[in-house]
Amino acid sequence: MTKINNLEITGLRGVKETLDLNLNKKSILIYGDNGTGKSSLTDSFEWFYNNHIVHLSNEEISGRGREALRNIFLSNQDDGYINLNFDDNDLDAKKSIDNSNKIHISNTSNYFNEYIQDSGSENLILRYRDLVEFIIATKTEKLNKLQEIIGFSEVAKIRTLLKRNFGRIKKNIKSSDYDGRKSVRQATILENLGRNAYSDEQLFDGVNELTKPLELKIVAKSRDDINAVIKEITSKEDSKLSDEINFNGRVKDTIAELKEISSTVNIDYSNFHTAFQGLQKEPEKIKNLQLLALLKEGKSVLTKDVVEDDYCPLCLQEKSKVQLIQELNIRTDELEQLAEEKNSIDEQAKELKQAIQIKKNSFEAILKDKSFEDKKFEELKGKLNSFKATLNSLISELDKGLTDKIKDPKELNLSEKELQSLVETTASEIKKLTKSKASNIKFTIYTKLIQTSNAYKEYLNLDAEESVLRKQQVTFELLYEDFIRRQEESLNIFLSMFSKDINDYYTTMNPKEKVEDIRLIPLTKKEELVGITIDYKFFDVRRVPPEAYLSESHINCLGLSFFLASVKAFNKRNNFFILDDVISSFDRSHRYRFAQLLTEKFGEYQIILLTHEKEFFELVSSEVKSKGWLLKNFKWSKESGKGIEKGIADIKERILKKLEDRNTDGLGNDIRVYTEKVMKKVAYELEAKVSYRDNTTNEKRMAPELLDAVQNKLKASTELKEIANIPKIKGMPMFVGNTTSHDNDFQASIEDLDAIWEDVKKMIHSFYCKECNKFISTKLYDPVRKKIRCGCENLIYDWK
Amino acid sequence: MEETIKSGKEVIDEFFSGILNIEGVDEKTVEMLVKLYGNDKLTDTNIQNELEGLKISALKTSKKDSDDQN
Repeated sequence: MTKINNLEITGLRGVKETLDLNLNKKSILIYGDNGTGKSSLTDSFEWFYNNHIVHLSNEEISGRGREALRNIFLSNQDDGYINLNFDDNDLDAKKSIDNSNKIHISNTSNYFNEYIQDSGSENLILRYRDLVEFIIATKTEKLNKLQEIIGFSEVAKIRTLLKRNFGRIKKNIKSSDYDGRKSVRQATILENLGRNAYSDEQLFDGVNELTKPLELKIVAKSRDDINAVIKEITSKEDSKLSDEINFNGRVKDTIAELKEISSTVNIDYSNFHTAFQGLQKEPEKIKNLQLLALLKEGKSVLTKDVVEDDYCPLCLQEKSKVQLIQELNIRTDELEQLAEEKNSIDEQAKELKQAIQIKKNSFEAILKDKSFEDKKFEELKGKLNSFKATLNSLISELDKGLTDKIKDPKELNLSEKELQSLVETTASEIKKLTKSKASNIKFTIYTKLIQTSNAYKEYLNLDAEESVLRKQQVTFELLYEDFIRRQEESLNIFLSMFSKDINDYYTTMNPKEKVEDIRLIPLTKKEELVGITIDYKFFDVRRVPPEAYLSESHINCLGLSFFLASVKAFNKRNNFFILDDVISSFDRSHRYRFAQLLTEKFGEYQIILLTHEKEFFELVSSEVKSKGWLLKNFKWSKESGKGIEKGIADIKERILKKLEDRNTDGLGNDIRVYTEKVMKKVAYELEAKVSYRDNTTNEKRMAPELLDAVQNKLKASTELKEIANIPKIKGMPMFVGNTTSHDNDFQASIEDLDAIWEDVKKMIHSFYCKECNKFISTKLYDPVRKKIRCGCENLIYDWK
Repeated sequence: MEETIKSGKEVIDEFFSGILNIEGVDEKTVEMLVKLYGNDKLTDTNIQNELEGLKISALKTSKKDSDDQN
């Protein structure tokens, strides 16, 4: 199991200059304000192991997050890189990215590649935003996530394959209506042979009986013998009549086959119609169903951190992100049930359509028979066409969407009576034709023999085909049963042991609280594994799900316990993990116990624990230091100007991308937010005064307030006042009035926004030096020359 | 924990190594599935194609047997 000796990061995310940590396999507690490079460390690790950064891989930042990986102030000649040295030197590697986003890895050995591949599925990083993801996920998402972690995704895929094929074969057998079709052939045999023939022996006996009056020398003992008999008694003179009889026979069989399933089709269509109309009677449900995709997309936006802050991306109202996701889960769960109802109706329609299609094809085939060109069959042809039209209508009704009106079953009834009557008409036509040559016994026997022989061949083919499909069906059914037994056994063992660890970690962090016996429970529906839920005893009563009864802090504890249990269960290659700001919503007592949990139960692991909360850092410093941890404060980095605030870099990337793509969507707002963030820094460096606010709301300074404050401060420098031209910026639409929210109806063209961005950049570059990457600052005031400057004096202004 | 929990791959491998012993299954269908899995080609489309192939081949054999019998 691998630990880290040394890590070095340069030019990645918010780290421009080198961040070097000599860990020597020890755990470390790192404190740093937001924007000092903590999360850059986590992002760099994620990139090193997974080659992408999930929370940056959204539509705005392409290339699996690589576009936003390089520090934007890095010169074109320099590479951004992360260099990791492990206790196993053969794994040491430097991964770098150049200006064209080309990636280079120094270690190309198979040993290292295998290590990276194995590490890809391990639990190495937990960020605050991912903490509650599993806990508040839906039951299906929980199942999928767990299956993914324990490598059961492949198991689930094979299970689906077996089930799908079993279902498909079963449906094929049903829609092929083997029973009905075989029964039609047997009816023909019975009619002509005077008995059924399910075997060769029965057939031969019947044929010998039938041909007795002809006193032939051939005794039928095989099907070849029957062919020989047919050949012997055939007469070219009667071939036309014989063809006509055969044609009528084929028509009769086609109609009889439809008659066999007509009553089932009528009932199935009627059931479909009732269920379909049932859904249509509740238009609200249908409307909601159409919302499902939107809600799912909304949830994806929140869970992928496209929206980072606590507000609703649609209405822009402030709201806890966790709460939003929980509410979306409840709504999508309800709609999934409705979707399931709809899917079941669709499935019903699909099956029925398949059965009808087969009959429709038979009708189309017989209607193409040349015999129908004869005018005497016109009436019969008309009737067949009428049934074909009904079959067509049924298919098109079954294809309709929920907002369409569908025809009443009465309008599309396949009349069994009418079909029976047609069967009888064609049968009597055959009889009539045969009787026309009644005096010719040879001919009568010949026609009966031909019809029997054809019907028996078709019967055997259908029987063989059905038998093959039934064997396949039984096989897949047995395989599926065996497979789910194995899967469930393994999953249950895993869940039970995994639950034990989660329970242990949770109760360590929450002793003497009435939450006990936490379990992950598989959920089944119709004997199918459909999800996983978490239950626990709360004041001795079993409760589920956690989010209904537990506070956010307790849900976080549960999420953390889940991650730690995953680390113990599945990390086989790495003996370290990173916890990035995971204690944000924990109260004081939980925080201390959390630190104890790490030092006591994960003492053998190397932990990189990052926090932006000074209180937590101070609270647990002595506890972890006594256990040999290192302590590090990232604050120096910001003060010396080495760190670049992450948020600013992200927004700038986004603005540049949108300008390049000519995409005005949200661009004005991005420029406003970017300006706010930069002006906060400018105001800080110039000591521009703004009204007092406490820590939380201090972060929410708006652009007009900051621009006013800085403009006021620029009275000290006429030169800078002119160059910065703040009044021009203040007059831009996105900075006018109270544009705190995103409901500003300002609609600018891409050309307008391009010009605005140029002006904003020009203003910012009057305060920020691209050479030394520092803002001009009152701290760098030269009282002798009465000048204010940046770090390298590239920017220098009079200041009085 | 590591000793007793089976990985997904272990579950699948064990299943495929034992399926021929499941009573009542069609040998050819199972052999086909084992072969597809072994070649890392166990997809829905491949299974469907192979099943259709097995059906055609079984029908040909059935016709041939019946012809030979006669």
